[in-house]
Amino acid sequence: MRPDYAIARADLIDGICAFRVWTRLGWQEVKRRYKRTFFGPFWATLSIGAFIGGMVFIWAPLFKTDVSSYLPFLSAGLVTWTFATTLISEGCGTYTGGTSIITQLNFPYTVLNFMVVWRNIIVFCHNVLIVVIVVIALKVRISWQTLLLLPGIIIVALNGAWMTILLGMVSARFRDVPPLVGNIIQILMFVTPIFWFSSQLGPGAQPIITYNFMFHLVEVMRAPMLGTAPSLLSYAFTIAGLVIGWLVTFDLYARFRRRIPFWL
Amino acid sequence: MTSIIARNVTIDFPIYGTSHRSLRQTLLARTGGLIRHEGQGRQQRVVVRALDDVSFTLNNGDRLGLIGHNGAGKSTLLKVLAGVFTPDSGSIHLEGRVSPLFNSAPGLDPDDDGYENIKTCGMFLGMSSEEINRKLPDIVDFCELGEYLELPVRTYSTGMVARLGFAIATAIEPDILLLDEGLGSGDARFAARAEGRMQALIQRTRILVLATHSDAMIKSMCNRAMLLEKGRLIAIGPIDEVINRYRESRIESSVA
Repeated sequence: MRPDYAIARADLIDGICAFRVWTRLGWQEVKRRYKRTFFGPFWATLSIGAFIGGMVFIWAPLFKTDVSSYLPFLSAGLVTWTFATTLISEGCGTYTGGTSIITQLNFPYTVLNFMVVWRNIIVFCHNVLIVVIVVIALKVRISWQTLLLLPGIIIVALNGAWMTILLGMVSARFRDVPPLVGNIIQILMFVTPIFWFSSQLGPGAQPIITYNFMFHLVEVMRAPMLGTAPSLLSYAFTIAGLVIGWLVTFDLYARFRRRIPFWL
Repeated sequence: MTSIIARNVTIDFPIYGTSHRSLRQTLLARTGGLIRHEGQGRQQRVVVRALDDVSFTLNNGDRLGLIGHNGAGKSTLLKVLAGVFTPDSGSIHLEGRVSPLFNSAPGLDPDDDGYENIKTCGMFLGMSSEEINRKLPDIVDFCELGEYLELPVRTYSTGMVARLGFAIATAIEPDILLLDEGLGSGDARFAARAEGRMQALIQRTRILVLATHSDAMIKSMCNRAMLLEKGRLIAIGPIDEVINRYRESRIESSVA
């Protein structure tokens, strides 16, 4: 299909300019989770917290580390992992979830993508409480490097944004994609050093980590939370992913945007 | 200057997830657009031509009624004008702010209360926050839901949801209004008020395009009519002529 870059560009710019709409929709969705429940979105936080609390005493000895160094690592990693992967899995449903409006109105579809990203940033702000508690309780060293968390969030969010557009499109056309993505995420969770330290994998197996994009995505947020700076390699990977991902997505969006209402 | 210029608009619907066999009967159907099979073997796709080479021009003051069988392309044409579908070939040129009024409340969420939904739907209909705030008293006043507006929409009766949706959707100020028939509007007393509000909205707009099966509705609201058949424009012109043409075609198809 012939790409129409003007339409894709207009959609993207109008989408960004409509920040009032997507910030509101993102908030509204979080507020809905608060309605009629006591903990609201904190239920997700509680379940991650309970998981960490239960597993830390098994895994710390299993991976031959002490709880005081394992616990911050596990909680920062898991909270980041949840943020990045929820973004990806919810991204699959961006356009199918917006069927009623996409098939009735002409508006920048990227509003829906930014809404998903924004909502997940808000949810992350809930979940990060676990890390804060752990860091304070175990007196993890806080340094200037901790501030790198902010650019880390931005890098992950911007990577997540192109992924939600790309996966949203592909999932609207091919309905097998969302469960497939779910499966891949599940496998990646065990392949990526979240539960175990990367140093524990022998030198021969290091390429599994070095070329794992998800590892670098986690690292740019996890390392600052633990008071250290992420490696330059992680920045290189995630920023390259951001640029290449956006270029590819933009091209595909220019080709297939007009098809989206037909797919729904 | 408000205007609509459509030139040779053609639109094909690719149909996904349908086996060819189940389409056999559809192929023999008398209504609907032309169904084609493209490609060979596993690559074969089913395509419905929903609009075929449609050209027309509408100017300030035109109130066009669309007539045709189910699946003749009326709703598709409205959606092309709304910008939901982009034509495969041909072009649409619109001058002025367009408002579609198909489903009365886009983005309505049952878990949000009435006020929240007025904001969300208003935003989707292209209103700014200031505009929504300005229209709010009018919407609240018209839907007559009172304190219900503070409750989640899922607690509303069907008629109440329809009232709310109608009040929001008709608060817009478009240059071009696209209307698909059958906007639900609550009980009898409300229906009478809705009628008045709809008339006022139509008075405010410069161009109206209405899709309906009701001759009476077209006669009362429109000054021109267009007959569509299997995606093709058969006739456009004075209402009576076009309606007569439609009746003839109905007789022909029942004889054949």
